[in-house]
This record gives sequence, structure tokens and C-alpha cells, in this order.
Amino acid sequence: MAAHFDTEYQRLEASYSDSPPGEENLLVHIPDGNKSPWHHIENLDLFFQRISFYPSKNGFTCMLLGEVFELVQLLFVVGFTVFLANCVDYDILFANKFVNHTDSSKVTLPDAFLPVDVCGASIRDNVAVMFVLMISGVFWLHRLIKFIYNVCCYWEIRSFYTNALKMSMVSLPYFTWQEVQARIVEIQKEHQICIHKKELTELDIYHRILRFKNYMVAMVNKSLLPVRFRPPLLGESVFYTRGLKYNFELIFFWGPGSLFESEWSLKPQYKRGGNRLELADKLASRILWIGIANLLLCPVVLVWQILYAFFSYTEVIKREPGSLGARCWSLYGRCYLRHFNELDHELMSRLSKGYKASSRYMNCFLSPLLTVVAKNVAFFAGSLLAVLIALTIYDEDVLAVEHVLSSITLLGVCITVCRSFIPDKHLVYCPEQLLRLILAHIHYMPDHWQGNAHRYETRDQFSQLFQYKAVFILEELTSPLVTPFILIFSLRRKSLEIIDFFRNFTVEVVGVGDTCSFAQMDIRQHGHPAWMSEGKTEASIYQQAEDGKTELSLMHFAITNPQWQPPTETTHFISQLKERVKNQILSLSLSLSLCLCLCLCLCLSLSVSLSLSQPRSLIANFLAGPPSLASLHLGRDGSLTDHGPVGVNDGASALRSLSVSSTRGSCSSAHRSAGHASFASRAMPGSSTDARTASSGSSVWEGQLTSLVLSEYASTEMSIHALYIHELHKQQSGGELSRHTWHRQDSDDSSDSVTEEGGSGGGNPNPRNLIPRSHTFPISTPISTPGPTPGQEVTPLQSNSQRRYGGNTDSVGPGGRVVRSERVPMGGWAEQGRGGRHPDTVPEEGSEDDMPPNTHKVFTQTHTDLVSLYGVPYHCFPLSSGDVTDQRDPTYLPTLILILPEKNLLLICELSTMASPLTPDG
Amino acid sequence: MNCRSEALEVSVEGRQVDEAMLALLHTILLHRSTGKFHYKKEGTYSIGTVGTQDIDCDFIDFSFVRVSSDELDRAIRKAVGEFKDAMGNGMDGMGQISLEFYQKKKSRWPFSDECIPWEVWSIKVNVVNLANEQERQICREKVGEKLGEKVINIVEVINRHEYLPKMPTQSEVDNVFDTSLKDVQPYLYKITFQITDTLGSSVSTTMRRLIKDTLAL
Repeated sequence: MAAHFDTEYQRLEASYSDSPPGEENLLVHIPDGNKSPWHHIENLDLFFQRISFYPSKNGFTCMLLGEVFELVQLLFVVGFTVFLANCVDYDILFANKFVNHTDSSKVTLPDAFLPVDVCGASIRDNVAVMFVLMISGVFWLHRLIKFIYNVCCYWEIRSFYTNALKMSMVSLPYFTWQEVQARIVEIQKEHQICIHKKELTELDIYHRILRFKNYMVAMVNKSLLPVRFRPPLLGESVFYTRGLKYNFELIFFWGPGSLFESEWSLKPQYKRGGNRLELADKLASRILWIGIANLLLCPVVLVWQILYAFFSYTEVIKREPGSLGARCWSLYGRCYLRHFNELDHELMSRLSKGYKASSRYMNCFLSPLLTVVAKNVAFFAGSLLAVLIALTIYDEDVLAVEHVLSSITLLGVCITVCRSFIPDKHLVYCPEQLLRLILAHIHYMPDHWQGNAHRYETRDQFSQLFQYKAVFILEELTSPLVTPFILIFSLRRKSLEIIDFFRNFTVEVVGVGDTCSFAQMDIRQHGHPAWMSEGKTEASIYQQAEDGKTELSLMHFAITNPQWQPPTETTHFISQLKERVKNQILSLSLSLSLCLCLCLCLCLSLSVSLSLSQPRSLIANFLAGPPSLASLHLGRDGSLTDHGPVGVNDGASALRSLSVSSTRGSCSSAHRSAGHASFASRAMPGSSTDARTASSGSSVWEGQLTSLVLSEYASTEMSIHALYIHELHKQQSGGELSRHTWHRQDSDDSSDSVTEEGGSGGGNPNPRNLIPRSHTFPISTPISTPGPTPGQEVTPLQSNSQRRYGGNTDSVGPGGRVVRSERVPMGGWAEQGRGGRHPDTVPEEGSEDDMPPNTHKVFTQTHTDLVSLYGVPYHCFPLSSGDVTDQRDPTYLPTLILILPEKNLLLICELSTMASPLTPDG
Repeated sequence: MNCRSEALEVSVEGRQVDEAMLALLHTILLHRSTGKFHYKKEGTYSIGTVGTQDIDCDFIDFSFVRVSSDELDRAIRKAVGEFKDAMGNGMDGMGQISLEFYQKKKSRWPFSDECIPWEVWSIKVNVVNLANEQERQICREKVGEKLGEKVINIVEVINRHEYLPKMPTQSEVDNVFDTSLKDVQPYLYKITFQITDTLGSSVSTTMRRLIKDTLAL
């Protein structure tokens, strides 16, 4: 007590009362708390992967159901097989034994089942069956646990989408990945999902999602993986199955003792070169053991594969045997054609776009000998079948005769198989064109294919990428047998190279971890001098990515992710490429082809815009283009009035395009219109003669559709770039390749293809003929070759454009190739219109094209093709003011289109055949 | 991966191990501790003070500052003691002690709470054997200097503007801070160590391990 009186200072009892009573209110903090649970996520790789899968798997419910059915399927396959093996009395089923029924003589299915106790006993007695059941039981339990775990993860992702990204499940299908990604980048600032950096870049996200896939792509690119073999008799072939892929991933990335210690970092000893030999030995021994394990497990896997294939494909084969003759992109093809940093859905959409052209290309190569045989076999089989069917119709007791039903089935299958060897009689044989069209989508092909498209070697090599479904299934079935040997004998030998590969091509990126250095898309480190990066690359041959992978990947990534800010050197590369495109166009005298392109562009965009924009506001949006760049005197009499689905209104629409006499030579096929103007209105007769860009104002891109549209254009732009880069590459490597186009004997009767042939043959330049002109017109050569003088060319140009527009108005195709090549978009557009709200304005061309009733699909495909080839609506890109990299320069793409070589103009021609419904089999 | 990692490396004599470790760990923890939070009304809190204390080392010419919390000191001494025992005495050896700061994330029922690290400090220790007293004397000074550098290193790293967990609300304070101590409140941390004689992976030992691994599989 006394102490208290002595002084008011006193010892503090505990530290928590150490601040004086009065001051507690002075220093008050407010916790910001973790309102969202998404700060600082532990495994970002997995998290981003799930996020990227989520939309492509259509949301939570679908994923849940899919997983549940997978589990059920597994149970079913095992259960049903055991049941079939043990519980069915086949004697009754085959009617070798009679059942005594008192009431009726009908044999029912349940009669064939053995009683429960009998079959239970037989299962119990059979050790092998019990063993299989046990193993599959364990496997199933494992799957079940995984399933429960996955469901929880999916739920988390779902709530991430709804709460953090603010995307409702209903609207999810409307968002593109780019939008999702943009939102992720946005919320990183708020939530700090990744703690290393304040801001995430698109490349970081891609790196995390595709870390291992990039390695695989690079290894395939550098031919490190043993997937090409030279078995006796078969010639060079590629064997790469899911089982093999699984094993590769197991060995490299996540299996026990793999090269990676966690999902994001390579083990440190693999980063040092010092003991590479020991590490290689170690890897070799691991591969050996895994190969042996594969060998031991092979019976189990094999049985599983067979059962699974049987249950999943038998029904399909019975229903449509032709599906076996259909083709699919092989696993190897997907690896070979994949860009670095390309997500699954991006790759698949690209390849799907190329599917039709690819199957057409492959169909060009039916052997005439086989065709003759097949025709006759089909004839005989068909007549037998016809008789049997006729008899059956007359009296169905015929079916009860033994083997009649099976012969009918067999004959049907036989005919279908034969038919797949008989080429479509309307088939056009122009492999070179098709190959270019394919190239526009798949972006990669070996150099020697160009100019050799007609050769069987090329075809065989292409079939390695694009294989028969039947071959695919067969390979999958043999995979368990072959895989262990590949591992033990081929991969093991490469262990040192693999170790070196991972050491040399792994870089540690802050905030991402260890990633494949190729995926950095650094021209300097991995560029290939023959692919535009001459002088910029410092890579040794070992470091260069083959096939221009680095350059094309870079372009692809920059185009699909316009927000991405590449490092300066990369920016330099891109801008240099674009500069080159521009210079090239300046150095050439552009006249005819410019205008042709212009017209094409206009027509294409017309079709595109109309097909895409149902609501008027969207049209407005769509047409609201970037500020004017060049003006155009187009279409003195370019009247399109008939086609206006929205009607002529406002008249404020203006057409902006290139002028041939433009001093800068820069051209733009861009046009714009304000308000709700339609394309039709812009072409009001006469008034458009002096139409200039009228209105301005930046376009505001809102809504999901625009983003979809944008990504569509991005793929277009990439296609054109791919063609362009390949073209440059070809010129750099030298060697003018001749084009071979001729006609297929069987398809002579198609008038379309005759003209086609004339066009693509390109032997005789015809002033009225679009294609030969483009052929003679040496726009393809970037090293400025003397083109025809503008004066000469202008006149035909004018006439061409006039004819074109006239044709559209009258809906009468003036017989000639010019118009026909135009007809593609127009016909497509017309079809769209018919399906839409203005059935009256449909021109006749649709019928001329002989469109089948259900044309929408055909059209969509065609339309995609066109768009992706010409990228026409490019001018509709928003020109964001802050766009430094010039990526959305509206003049750019048309320019690029123009300097593409003449062959690409020919593609229009090819496309016109695509537009026709002659290829519904694809 | 989603976590910063900082690496430090020191070479010390056997008897200096625990002091050196204590010095580094305490230095880090000093900067990763706050005073106790006192939540007032919903949404605000005040922070208590953190006392500090100078500690002189016996075997090194060095003194460092630590939080004056005996509980914390005890916990760290215990971890370092275990580490030293595991290292064995007197032998050449290498070890690594890691101080990991993490956050807890509450999970739904079937799973236990996740611990997500956000910063890991790994300190590699090389133990050297010294022949005579004179060398020991030199080592004493040298290690002192080295530790001084490391401390400055640590402070530099900590001064960077980088991710730290956000200040939690009262209900979440356990997910971010270790509230078990009476007088100080460090971020949740975990000390782990690992003793390997092959961290440097000399050729012979690697070969031996390799053969062992192959046989084991």
C-alpha cells in the first residue's frame, strides 16, 4: 500500500496491460481481415489448371455427373464382364438346349441366367475371377477417394468463380478464357493469389497451367521422345499412345523419384551439370524398373483396354461402321502441332477447324485400284443385301433362318467399308491448296511438304498426325504390350539426353518456379534463324526450336493475349514483323489484288456481321470500328440494297476502305457505320460513291459476344500469320516450289470443279479471272519483285468489283469465276439470312449452291473457314488507345492478307467448294 | 511454390552451431513478431509492445537482439537443441534448418486445416573441424562477422514490400498468429530441420546412394 503512495509508477503485472489506460484509444487498428479465402493459394498450378478446365467442362454439375458416371462405368464394366462369364447359360441362349416351359414356348432372357447361388459359387470357386475382382475393387476405392477429393476441389473452384471472379454459373458459357484470365489478373491485385508478385501476367498463368505440357511439347519438338519407329515392313511410323504418355509423365514429372521434387521445381541435383552421368544412370535404372512394372501389369491393363474398347466402340461400329474410317488428330499430332503455351481448348478448337480440310486432303489419296475393287465388291454385296432385305420385307420369317440376320449385318458393314474407299464424285483434287488451308489452322508442317502435297510420302506423314480412328483404337489396344519395350529399349538409351534436356532447358522464373525455357518464347535464346529471327537469335542449333515453334508460339500467344506485355526484345520481334508487312506492301504496286481483297473483305465481313449480329445494337457495335485510316472510292455502283436484313436506315453508314491512289499506300478494308446501320445501308446505290468515314468515336466493347468475336478474330489473325511466316520461311530457305493441281478423273462431271481446276491450275492468266491474275501477280515475293504497274491493273479491278456487286444485287451469279469466288460469303450470308428473320431477301445463290435443308452447320463451318482465312472483320477490332504494341492496328491485317502469296487467294476458290454442301461427309 | 524462400548459409564450428542458429532464428522472429492484439469493439484492436533484449554469444564474437520472451526463446532453443543433437557432435556435417511461416486455412469437415506457408527461411549449416586454439580464435571472429552480414541480409529482405498475411479479425487471429505465447505474438511458424551428409553430393556418396536406390526399388 505504501508503495502506491510513494509513486504512481508501478510494475506492470502482465505485458498485455503495458499501455497506459488512456492511450489505448489513441492507437487503434482496424483489421482488414481475410474476407476472401483466396489470398495466397498454396498450389497455384493445380488451382489454375482447375480454373481453366472448369469452363471447358461446363461447370460443376457436369463435372460431378461425369465423375459419377465414370465410377459407375467402371463398376459396370467389371460387373458385367464377370456376369457374362459366369452367370449366363449360353446353351440356352444359342438354343442348343431347350427350356421346359409349361405356359409358352418362348425363351426369355432371364431363362438364360443361371440361378444366383450357382453363379455365386462359380465366381467364388474361380480364383482368377476373385483376384480380378479384388484388384478392381481396390482400384475402384482409390477412384472413389479421388472422386470425393475432386468434388471438394470443384466446389471450391465453383465458389471462386461465383464469389471472386463474379461469374455466375448461368453466364459461364458466355465467357471466354481470355476474360476469365483478365479477371484473375484483376483480382490478383486485390487478393494476392500469388504472393511473389504484385501482379500476375498472362504468361505466368499459362506457365503454371502448362508447365509439364510445355516440356512435352518441347521434347517432341526436339525429337527427344522415342515416338518414331522404323519397324520392319511398316516403314516409318509413329507410336504414341495414352499409355505411353502416362508413363513418360510418370517418369519425368510426378512418379516416385521423378525429376521434379514438387510440382513446380526440378530437383536441384538435376540443375547441376556436374554429375550428369550418374543421374543419367539413375534415370535409366528407374526407366528400366518402370518398364518392368509395366510388363508385369500388362495383362491387367490389356484386359481392361480390350474390355473398355469393346464396350465403348462396339455399339458405335454396329451403328455406323463408317466412324472407323473417320479420322482424328493423333496424340502425337496434338503434341507436334501444339504451340508453347497453348491451352487444351485453344488447341482443340484450332485443330477442329482444320479437321474438315484435313479429311478432304486425306480423301484425295484413295488408291484408284482399291476404288475399282471396292466399287465392285460393294456392288455384289449390295445386290445380295438387297435380295435379303426384299425377302425379309416380303416375309419376315426369313430372319429366323440361321445366319440371315448376321449376313445382313455383315453385308451392311462390308458395303459401308467399301464405300469409304470410293471417292466422292464431286471431290476436287487440289492437295496443295488443301494443305495450305490445313496449314492455316494447324500452323506447323515440315518444309518438305510444301510443293509435295500430292505425293504419297506427304500423305503418309500427314496421316501420322491425322490418323484413322480405327488405327487409334488399335494402337491403344496394343499399347500395353508395346509400351514396356519402348521404355526399356528406346527411352532408357536416351536417359542422358533427357537429363541434359532438363538441365539445359529449365529456367526458374520468379513467381512461377521451374519452367521449360522454350515456353518463355524468347527469340534470342530459342529462335531459329530460318524462321524470321535471323540476327536476333543467339541460339545454337541445339537450342533452336524446330519448325519455327518459338516464333509461331510467340505470335500465337501475343495474338491470343493482346493484353500481355512482352519483354522488349519480343516486342521488337513482333513489331518488326509487322513493320515488314507494311514495308512490303509499300514496296509493291498494289492495285488489283488490293481491290480484290478489299471486295472480298467487304463481302466476307458482310456475311460475318450479319450472321453474328442478330440484335441491331450488336450490329452497331460490330460496325463501330476504329478511327479512319484511309478512305475509299468503292463501288461506283456497288449496291447491296437487297440484302439489308435490318433495313436501310440512318444512312450514316460509311464505307471506309483502301484507296488505290492513297499516297501512303496503306490500305484498310475497314469500314464503319454509325447507329444501327447495316451493311446494306452503307451500299445505298450511288450514295456510297464518295462515302468517307463519317462518324468517329471509340467503340465500346461490352458483353460477352464481343469477346467471343475477338477471340475468333485472334485465331484468324494467327492463321494468316502462320501462313505468312511459313511463306517467309520458304523464301528464306530458298527454292521455288511448283504447284501441282490437276483433276481427279472421277469428279469430272462437276462443273464447279472444272472451273476450279482452271483457276487453280493458273496456267493461263485471264484478265477476267481472279485466280490466274493473282497467280501472275507476284505479291508473294517480299523481296520486291516488279509487279504490274498500277495503271494496267486498275481497270480490271474496277470491272471486277462492279461485277461482284452487281452479282450480289441481282442474285444472279454471272457465270465466271470471279463471282463464284465471291459467292462463298454471299451464299453463306444468304443462308444465314434465310434461317434468320429475312427469308425474303435470300438471293438465288443458295439454291445454286444446292444447299441441303440443314445448312446451318455447313455454313458455320464455312464461315469459320472464311473468317479464319481472311480475318476480314478485323477492322472491327477495338483500337484501344493505350495499345502500344500496335496489335490492333486495323490496317495491319488486311495488309498482311494482301502480301500473302497468290496461292492464298486461290484458297478462296477452294473455300467456295467448301461452302458447297459437297462435303457433308466430313 | 506459392511462397517466398530465402536461403542463408553459414560455416561454423561444432560448438558454435546452436548460438549461430539462435542468432539467426531470433533475428528473423524479432521482425516477424508483433505485440499481442487486443480486440476492442468489433473491428478494431490495439497492439501491445514488444520488448527486446541483447544477447551475447559465448563462442562467437557476436551479440544479437531478440524478443524478450522467455517462452519464445525456450521454444526456439528446444528446436535448435534437437537440431544439434541430430547433427551429432564433432563430426564434419551439413544440416539445414528451416523456419517456415504459414497461414492456416480452415477446411471443411473431411480435411484437416491446411497450413499454407508464405515464407521459408532455410539456413544451411556447414560444420567444420578446427585443429587448434588459434584457428578457433580466428573462427570466432570470422563467424561473428559473417553473422553480422546475415543479420543485415535478413533485415534487407524483411524491409522489402512483400506479401504479408493481412491483419486478421478476432475470429481469425489464430489462423495467422501464434497466440499461445503470453507476451508476444509471432506469425505462425514452424521449425524443421534436415540432416544430410549428401547435400553437397560428393561423387562417391551419390554413387553409393544410387546403387542403394536401384536395389531398393
